[in-house]
Amino acid sequence: MTDSQARPAFLRDAPLAFQRIREYAIFLLEPDGTVASWNEGAQVIKGYSDAEIIGQSFSRFYTPEDLLAGKPAEILSRASRDGRVEEEAWRLRKDGSRFWADVVVTALRDPDGTLRGFVKITRDLTARKLAEKALRQSEERMRLMIDSVRDYAIFMLDPTGRVASWNPGAERLKGYTAREIIGHSFERFYPEQELRAGKPRLELEIAAREGRFEEEGWRLRKDGSRFWANVVLSAVRDERGVLVGYAKVTRDLTERKRSEEAVIERARQQAAVAQLGLFALEHPDLDAVIDRAVTTVRETMGTELVGVLELSEDGKSLVLRAGCGLDVAAMGRVPIELDGVAEAGYTLSSAGPAHLDERRFRMGGFLDAHRGGSRVTALIRGSDRSREAFGVIEAHSRTERAFGEDAVNFLQSVANVIAAALERRSMEEQIRIAEQKAVEERARASQVREALRERDEFISVAAHELRTPLTALQLKLQTVERGLKMGTQKPAAGSSVEPRLEGALRQTERLSLLVERLLDVTRIAAGRLDLALETFDLAALVRQVADDFREPAARAGSELRLEGPQALQGCWDRLRLEQVLVNLLSNAVKYGAGRPISMRVERAGERIRIAVTDQGIGIAQADLPRIFTRFQRAAPLRNYGGLGLGLYIAKHIVEAHGGRVEVSSRPEHGSTFVVDLPIVAVRAAGPEQAAARVRA
Amino acid sequence: MMAGKCGKTVLVVEDDADVREAIAEVLSDCEYKPLHASNGAEALQRLRTAEVRPCVILLDVMMPTMDGWQFRAAQKSDPSVSDIPVVVLSAHANGSEAAAKMDAAAYLAKPVSLERLVTVVERFCGVEQG
Repeated sequence: MTDSQARPAFLRDAPLAFQRIREYAIFLLEPDGTVASWNEGAQVIKGYSDAEIIGQSFSRFYTPEDLLAGKPAEILSRASRDGRVEEEAWRLRKDGSRFWADVVVTALRDPDGTLRGFVKITRDLTARKLAEKALRQSEERMRLMIDSVRDYAIFMLDPTGRVASWNPGAERLKGYTAREIIGHSFERFYPEQELRAGKPRLELEIAAREGRFEEEGWRLRKDGSRFWANVVLSAVRDERGVLVGYAKVTRDLTERKRSEEAVIERARQQAAVAQLGLFALEHPDLDAVIDRAVTTVRETMGTELVGVLELSEDGKSLVLRAGCGLDVAAMGRVPIELDGVAEAGYTLSSAGPAHLDERRFRMGGFLDAHRGGSRVTALIRGSDRSREAFGVIEAHSRTERAFGEDAVNFLQSVANVIAAALERRSMEEQIRIAEQKAVEERARASQVREALRERDEFISVAAHELRTPLTALQLKLQTVERGLKMGTQKPAAGSSVEPRLEGALRQTERLSLLVERLLDVTRIAAGRLDLALETFDLAALVRQVADDFREPAARAGSELRLEGPQALQGCWDRLRLEQVLVNLLSNAVKYGAGRPISMRVERAGERIRIAVTDQGIGIAQADLPRIFTRFQRAAPLRNYGGLGLGLYIAKHIVEAHGGRVEVSSRPEHGSTFVVDLPIVAVRAAGPEQAAARVRA
Repeated sequence: MMAGKCGKTVLVVEDDADVREAIAEVLSDCEYKPLHASNGAEALQRLRTAEVRPCVILLDVMMPTMDGWQFRAAQKSDPSVSDIPVVVLSAHANGSEAAAKMDAAAYLAKPVSLERLVTVVERFCGVEQG
């Protein structure tokens, strides 16, 4: 088929102008799709020359996918049916590359309707297509970006304030899904009070007028909870400047606000701890400090229950030492046994503060009554090595509540103040003990000094007392000796030998008596003042001793008077009681200042009372307590000799009999010593012993 | 050898009767004339009423009523007897100090030997004798 023959006649007449158009591929197709004409534009766009393409099927412009789908035939049949088909689609160039084509296929018919062919106009829209794609991609990226922003609510409002778009950040922040909120007024994000003030409208007005509105304030979530929001509202206008809506970006600053509040809270806690510390410094009383600590925790942390639990000595349980909101009956009594699951035990073993999970731990003991809510527990360190932990302090909120690090730190600080107070008390205690020890040491040293002084004085007095009879003894013996030597020459001297020997013998008796008294002191000190009990007439003994003293008393110028019953049978140690009577009478003579001395014996029921009264120098009130102690005498030593043991020994003898010695005295008026004795002597230390001796 | 020194009066001031008696016996044996006093007050009385002035006073320190110190003070303040030498006789551990403080002419510690007692008394009673 030749070129001229194949082409329909009208096509040959096609205006030359079409041929010159380069922007559009304009060509004719035969009814079967064979390319019948080809203009310059077709050549430019598709890359084929006239000779290459005319007579070929137009299907070679289609992509393999379209060919497979029967697209070329479909296009022609639609164009034939509808008269015109327009589409945008990928087409192939001669070199195989694709271009985005805007294709219009128009059926050409004779006046009688016979299909003569198609005119096809193709425009290369690749550039536009690419630009559109780029735009779409950009929009997609924007959308993805907005969607991926979770910390900001980014959404559009239409000019009336209805929500037009909604990103996931908005959903997260405000709790509404896009479906729930789009189309609704943004007013529902505002708290009631601000709504009434017309705040939402005002914000839109400002944004419309000034292009932008920004503020921080409270906003509501879908669930009604509040959050502190940073809001930026921007007016969006089209190219002509017409307001098409608003872009709204909202950020949740609750965290920031919370951290600001946390700073304030932390400062408040620090102030509270400082005040508590000051209080602890000013108050040495540990209980006061602990009570104050409890109050401080309750007021600062706002917890209803606060407890200070003290670890028991054995470290096995905790006892409520102080607290508020807890059962006061438990105070100091009900122990909390420590085991693996008690939270206090956990705090003690971990030695650190703990914010404890309710489900993980048991509270233990009476605290189980306060289950629920949230708790923080902090360790109170002990004050010495033997006690590493004093116990724990616990703050308990009845309602579930997240205790932050600050709260835990605060509680630990309070615990530390208590620990410091404990340490101070411990140190004060140590100082007190040391001071007390020093005082005791001083007292002991003083006692030792006094004992030494007494001993020295005793030794001196004892020596003096022993030397006195020794003097007489020595002189008498020496005169006897000399007399015997000179006997032949001086018979007169020899004649006095016998009485002098008797005198010497008397001195040895005195000496042995003195030694005996000294031994008594040793016996009393060793608790071995044994009594040899026998039944005898005490009245007779008193008379005998009184008779013995009549002469010495007379020598001292004192008259000795005796009153008493004729007989008084009883069971006592005869020699010891004689010793007592001799002591009392010799004192009366010694200190009686030459005035009358009376001795009165009375029986009162099962007791005997012997009173020896003198009218002598008497004893000062201050001296009365010590006259019955060892080596003591109220009178000045240089006036009165003696061991100073008489009353001491007498008192112990009488007490060994189950009796007592009492004294009453007025200086310069005299003294009365009263011996009160049971009739059957009962040994104070052991009645059985006394009974045994009586039987013996 | 002692004969020439005897016949002198000696005042014995001693509260212990046995000691006083023993000393008196020794002095009598040596033919001194002992005067007895059981305390300072008695001694002063003896001094003031004695027909013969004693040539020496043997004085105990610890005595009731009036002790050796008090007697010595009283004696010194009485010019009529203040020049009579005093020999302090004491059983006290620091009797020699007391004797020095009392401005005594001599000190004899109890228990005193016969020899020493006689020698000291002799010293005071023999000087006058020549």
